[in-house]
Amino acid sequence: MEKQSLNWKVAGFAGEGIMTTGILFSKTCARHGLYIFDYTEYPSLIRGGHNTYQVYADTNPVHSQRKKVDILIALNKNSLSFHQDELTQNSLVIYDQEDDKVNIKEFALPCKSFNLPMVKLAKVAGAERVMGNNVALGASIFLLGLNLEILNQVISDIFSKKGNQVVSLNQQAAKAGYEFAKIHSQPILTAVNNKPHNYLTLTGNESIGLGAVAGGVKLYTAYPMTPSSSILHYLAAKAKKSNIVVKHAEDEIGAINMALGSSFTGARSMVGTSGGGLCYMTEAFGLSGIAEIPLVVVDAMRPGPALGMPTWTAQGDLQFVLTASQDEFPRIVMAPGDVFEAFDLTRRALELAEKYQTIVILLTDKYLSESRHTLKLDNESFNNQRIGFSNNPKPDESGFFPRYQDSENGVSSRSVPGSLGGTYIANSYEHDNYGFATEVADIRNSQVEKRARKLTAMAAEIPEQFYIKENNAALTFISFGSTKGPLLATKHLLKDAGININILNLSWMWPFPKDQVTKVIKESSKPVVIEGNQQGQLARLITQETGIIINDKLNRYDGRPFYPEDIASYVRKIVK
Amino acid sequence: MNQQKPTPDRYGRSSTGLKYPKTPTWCPGCGNYGIWGAIKLGIKGTGYPPEKFVLVYDVGCSSNMADFNHHYGFHALHGRALPAAAGIKLANHDLKVLVVIGDGGCYGEGGTHFLNLMRGNHDITVLVHNNHRYSLTTGQMSPTTDKGTKTKSTPEGSIDEPLNPISLSLSNHATFIARQFAGDIPKLASRITEALNHSGFALIDILQPCPVFNPNQSYEWYRENMVDLETEGHAQNDKLNVWKQAMRKDKIPIGLFWKEEKAAYHQQIAQLDSSPLATQAIDNIDISPLASEFK
Repeated sequence: MEKQSLNWKVAGFAGEGIMTTGILFSKTCARHGLYIFDYTEYPSLIRGGHNTYQVYADTNPVHSQRKKVDILIALNKNSLSFHQDELTQNSLVIYDQEDDKVNIKEFALPCKSFNLPMVKLAKVAGAERVMGNNVALGASIFLLGLNLEILNQVISDIFSKKGNQVVSLNQQAAKAGYEFAKIHSQPILTAVNNKPHNYLTLTGNESIGLGAVAGGVKLYTAYPMTPSSSILHYLAAKAKKSNIVVKHAEDEIGAINMALGSSFTGARSMVGTSGGGLCYMTEAFGLSGIAEIPLVVVDAMRPGPALGMPTWTAQGDLQFVLTASQDEFPRIVMAPGDVFEAFDLTRRALELAEKYQTIVILLTDKYLSESRHTLKLDNESFNNQRIGFSNNPKPDESGFFPRYQDSENGVSSRSVPGSLGGTYIANSYEHDNYGFATEVADIRNSQVEKRARKLTAMAAEIPEQFYIKENNAALTFISFGSTKGPLLATKHLLKDAGININILNLSWMWPFPKDQVTKVIKESSKPVVIEGNQQGQLARLITQETGIIINDKLNRYDGRPFYPEDIASYVRKIVK
Repeated sequence: MNQQKPTPDRYGRSSTGLKYPKTPTWCPGCGNYGIWGAIKLGIKGTGYPPEKFVLVYDVGCSSNMADFNHHYGFHALHGRALPAAAGIKLANHDLKVLVVIGDGGCYGEGGTHFLNLMRGNHDITVLVHNNHRYSLTTGQMSPTTDKGTKTKSTPEGSIDEPLNPISLSLSNHATFIARQFAGDIPKLASRITEALNHSGFALIDILQPCPVFNPNQSYEWYRENMVDLETEGHAQNDKLNVWKQAMRKDKIPIGLFWKEEKAAYHQQIAQLDSSPLATQAIDNIDISPLASEFK
């Protein structure tokens, strides 16, 4: 099959329905059997700022957004000037001369443009102004050689809840755009002919939500904070259907302490937030550690410090989450690299939190959390085993259950409130076997050492990290989390230019996969650490854990994700 | 390893000589003794199985009671006992959840939880050991300390007005509001039983003498200044009357101010109708009904 791709972008004022328009187009592409990566940019306000949605679709699997667009739909004048560096001579810009009184010559575009009277055609079709977006969708369908019937079906699926009238008006507006383009222009791509697939297209946050349900989460608590809020929205919307409880708590402190109370009763529990909210939660991280209460915490990173840039991306919380809390206790930190890992690691996080009776932190970022990506799930049914519970707890001579009794791997058997004979205290103070507060030095030491011992057992759980190795590779990129996608896309770009690169992307940050990382660095001619922060937090972690200092670093901290084109030009400079 | 016989800590405990539950560590004359006794009686009064209670403790002198009881316990972070308690109830509503907390933890450090969880009518019983001081940290002012009081942190006299927990919760949808005296164990015990049997957010603000850091508000002082709502012919269904009693300055009214039957938080969640979250099986989860919308 011939490889074919398209890169489509819509831009305009926030509040003009950009998101919906993007999703309609993206779903239409997916139902043509294409693989999808959608990337959005928007400001932290409800109306008026600049908002974009771009869909990269390909007959082969895709991994990230691309810079150069095939079609740009400019819904206002800003959109004509803001994206010029994304246009090539083969691009096509669609705009509405009449509605925004655009003099297209002023913009000196490097490519062809197409004046589409979106608002007028929408009104002629009997629709409202905002449905002008559908006129642009219809025109896009024609210009990209796609099937209008599939768009009509998507419109019907998305708007059916709003009634037949709304569906029909949206479809008529799309048809008007399609017909207008047919008369006044011609397709820039030939018809896509891919076998329809049955995959899902969803955001990282939706994938985390879906993975949480699959992993048996029973309670999710959160306080809204971009870019984590869509986990709350997704799970709240599905709570009834999936028999879970979702609580929008009074603040992040309430959220995490509520979740710990819930987990204490045996219900798998999870919270989600972003950097600022995570700061509020850190005291309770220690409570999870000392009382050995399982908990999964999602940190969807955005640039900081403090409020930083709410709707943009970053990887600057890595060092913070590795140790955040009073004193020390063992924890697991994971950083999913794509929607599949987001699903899989969330499910796994719930299991491992229960197994090791501690906190598991899932580190995502705005880029992964809010980009939509194709997900292939082989299995939609999950069998979760309960781990570490004493079904018939018996008190010892003290009259209490030795909940914190020492064991070889540091994990002790749990009882849950309600069960006769299992009485103990979950204590935020240092405590003895039964949970009673103590300051006795040797009891303190034995509890600290018992908890610490869990780390050895956890380290044995680390799976092989994602590593692509080739002979004669120019360099080896070492990254974590969402940088995986742009690196894979870079690899494809460079392959065409005859350059090979290796990629080691980490999704397990703690306990650190030190053996594999050491081995990869040693066999690599030129390791480069690439990450979304300024100080090089992954590079520092590698040095801390392996003793190896890596001097070549590629850092981005302007809130934008890595683009494969930029990484490729970095590589080309080095290869020269 | 150290082969020496471990030295016991100040409670007489060591790793070889365990003895449970512990003997209280409160000062002689502390109001916590009375409250402790009333809690045990109050729990017994419900007739509910002991293992189905969870006592959630905050941090402070009152909450050191965690070590003196024989029930499942959750010794929370300072100020965070309420959300932990609400989470416990939400996850397993077959349990009865009792919170032992001080005026500092409930009205100060954890104030936002207090304000918001009462609005939700979470079915928890909150016993505020109100001694008008931070006594475990040696007697600084608390949110309920009278204006002008000299304490270690307010040597010139406190500037803040005291918080009124009764009027605050009355205006903010709590469904069971009482004030009792630590020195009257039988009355406090029966009020605790009543609160535990109440379905919804129950607050008992307990006047607790602290002879060490607040000697002026002694047992005698309280007895002289309290007035029992029952002897006042208190009409609980008349909110305006309740409000007047809550705002009284001449005397400190004790008794049940307000009680209202309303659905508790967990009773308004359909997913909890069949069984508590904590006991719902997770061994066979099919996500295909959720996956279809992403196609």
